[in-house]
Amino acid sequence: MSTRLLQVTGLRKDFPGLRALDDVSFELRSGEVLAIVGQNGSGKSTLVKVLAGVYRAEAGQVALGEGGDSAVPEMHFIHQTRALIPELSTVENLSLGSSRSRLRLARRRERRHAEQMIGSFGLSFDVTRPIRELSPAERTVVAVVRALDGWSSPENILVLDEPTAELHGEEVGKLFHVVRQVAAAGAGVIFISHRLDEVIDLSDRVLALRDGRVVGDVPSHECDHDRLIQLIVGRSIGSIERTALAGERELVLAAEGLGGDTVARADLRLHAGEIVGVSGLLGSGRESLAGLLFGARRRERGEVTVLGSPLAAGDPAAAVAAQLAYVPPDRHADGAVMEMSVRENLTLPGLGPLRRALGRLDRRAELGEVRQWIDSVGLRPPEPGRRLELFSGGNQQKVVIAKWLRLRPRALLLDEPTQGVDVGAKLSIYELIENAAREGAAVLVTSADAKELVEVCDRVLVMRDGEIVAELAGGALEEERLLREELGLDAQQAVHVFDEAEEEEIRA
Amino acid sequence: MPDQATPSLTELPAAPPPPAPQTPPAGEGEGGRLAAVLRWLSFRNISAIYIFAVIFVVFSIWVPDTFLAESTWRAMIDSQAITALVAIGLVLAVSSGAFNLAIGAEVGFGAILVAWCLTKLGAPIPVALALTVLAGALIGLLSGLLITFARIDSFIATLGVSSVLLAAISWVSGDQQILNLSHTFQQLGTGEFLIFTWPVWIMIAVGIVVWYVLERTSAGRHIYATGGNIDAARLAGVKTRRVIILSLAGCGMITALAGVLLTSTIATGDPTVGPAYLLPAFTAVFLGSTQFREGRFNVLGTVLVVYVLAAGVKGFQLAGAPTWIPDLFNGVALLTAVALAKFQARTSETHWLLRLLGRGKREEGHD
Repeated sequence: MSTRLLQVTGLRKDFPGLRALDDVSFELRSGEVLAIVGQNGSGKSTLVKVLAGVYRAEAGQVALGEGGDSAVPEMHFIHQTRALIPELSTVENLSLGSSRSRLRLARRRERRHAEQMIGSFGLSFDVTRPIRELSPAERTVVAVVRALDGWSSPENILVLDEPTAELHGEEVGKLFHVVRQVAAAGAGVIFISHRLDEVIDLSDRVLALRDGRVVGDVPSHECDHDRLIQLIVGRSIGSIERTALAGERELVLAAEGLGGDTVARADLRLHAGEIVGVSGLLGSGRESLAGLLFGARRRERGEVTVLGSPLAAGDPAAAVAAQLAYVPPDRHADGAVMEMSVRENLTLPGLGPLRRALGRLDRRAELGEVRQWIDSVGLRPPEPGRRLELFSGGNQQKVVIAKWLRLRPRALLLDEPTQGVDVGAKLSIYELIENAAREGAAVLVTSADAKELVEVCDRVLVMRDGEIVAELAGGALEEERLLREELGLDAQQAVHVFDEAEEEEIRA
Repeated sequence: MPDQATPSLTELPAAPPPPAPQTPPAGEGEGGRLAAVLRWLSFRNISAIYIFAVIFVVFSIWVPDTFLAESTWRAMIDSQAITALVAIGLVLAVSSGAFNLAIGAEVGFGAILVAWCLTKLGAPIPVALALTVLAGALIGLLSGLLITFARIDSFIATLGVSSVLLAAISWVSGDQQILNLSHTFQQLGTGEFLIFTWPVWIMIAVGIVVWYVLERTSAGRHIYATGGNIDAARLAGVKTRRVIILSLAGCGMITALAGVLLTSTIATGDPTVGPAYLLPAFTAVFLGSTQFREGRFNVLGTVLVVYVLAAGVKGFQLAGAPTWIPDLFNGVALLTAVALAKFQARTSETHWLLRLLGRGKREEGHD
């Protein structure tokens, strides 16, 4: 039997008006990958913070090691964004954590050491480049390596908090490979993620939390996607059915020869009432397309027309005036003013209709409108005056989307709309997107999550090397096919998959 | 979240229905109203008023004869009007995210320019006043252009502008005081209307205008949004460059006006007076942001803080404290203010008072 690294018993943590953790018990053994899942507000992050010592629990115990004379394992926490200093290189970030060579700058040795560590996980990149220039997967690996560096024994605990939120297909694989290696060496890994397929894929055991209580502690091979959702939400969720588009629709947004950032050249046409997905690996252009169309990123080439009239490049104000709406991928940096209230954020892009004489805002009319939107997007808690930063990620995103829906946009461009959002809120966001399309908006959704695109979109554009290389719709729109197109796997294989999908359809 | 409409609610396990997530203790309804009042009255929200009470009590006991005299208070209100006016201008700038370090030099330049217009140019008072305020607007415009189009960080841009202005002050005045200002002009700074001098009334009028713009208009929303998160504001269609430039121009006009009033009050165009306003204005604006509006820069809090600090300084002076006390007091107040604001941001949800209220409520529920 492997050694026990961590035992948590009867943990309780109270916040004003809320019991965040209630009698939470579990254990972690060496060599094991434990996934913790749950909706936002289920107590996941509170649990991590209690383990990290940020919060003190009101009751219960966290015991490291097996007690007695055995070595006490260390616990290392890796958070996706805060782990590293972006201006410093991999080498410098690694040496920050260690006590080695503090006096003399043994640069060459440090560099070799860094390359070795990175290499031992089967990766190779320039370790002297600043962290901010690395891909998110590489960054996460550096964070993991930094935690591992300086462990005297492999039997320690690694806590990964949402490490894959920014990662895409292949990159997730890279990280998982690293995590498995770490576990195989004898470490215990706690892995927290919203992406349930990943959880099943990577972990040995799943601990599901709901309302601060453990509602399931099961081996991963015994559960599938649906079972997990049922555990987390407490009921099963019916997935959304898309009806096929009938007839020709009005052309809303068209781009010709669009280029800039990671997009080399893209032509696309969005019609009223359709939901178009954009898929692709990181760096394929997928992450820049929506921003380029809207003007959030600098357009270097090409024409964008909205309802036939050309749109000025790089001018969000003009885009808003042309009834475009854009939900950026990074909610905190670009999506909303976090220290302003829900109300102020909701009306920010469209204060015009509320303006009265002397520039005065009609605050009563504003509040009425805001309450309506709070109601229709199901914001929790439904408080218009509450600062946005105090809401959970999913609820923040609802506000960001609602502020655009309020303006009844002709085209709605969403960049990673469900990033860092829990399962329940994800579904309400899908519903909002659906409704917008039903009311006649042309919707563009870019996402790293192929499953999401298949579920939500009418057709999906696949990008590779800055260009749109494929378009999948109808029966061809299928997760595996998407991934193959993204990777540019050989055409025959792709056709093969396509045939299989068609065959299945015929059989059904 | 739990209660959105889902097409199929198949099986609902034995677990209780999904709870309302994280309702804060202060909801709506009777209990909520009490909590809201308590929250407004909390030290966190109106600390300056409590501090003022302490200052008032201490000095009323320590130096009752002088501190409680009516003339002391009138003199203090009159003398702080210009500081308050400068701070109001600064609120406008910092709310849009532009940390205007040129504010002291702007006051100094306004003070010299109006004196120069009146004496060397022989301009009539309204013309001199208009020219000075216009110059203030242009200075703000320049700072704004440097920040938005040259993309220089606001600290550095305004620091540079400040240095250029100090040079201009020196050049215009030849490092000499400008004397022989007309009696009529001096009336602007020293003449009384009802119980206060004109600068107090002008400060109040400008304060109301800036308050109205920031709190009641869409322009104000755009200013706060730009200051809060410039990228998010830009993506929401706010013309952030224009917002920053106009905020700084407005700030420049107000500070130039403050310079005019200053010259009129001391009856001299003094080339050295401006920079002394930098620190008090920033202190007031930052400390003011901890009042009333949960960390947001605001006019009311700023003006309140100017006077609370002045009362403290006055008390120390009357009690015979040395001359360096005002600087010390302002400096310590600024540091405390910013530390307090940080602390407040960290604990806004877990404040002891709210926690106490939350506890009380839950225990009621359990009993």
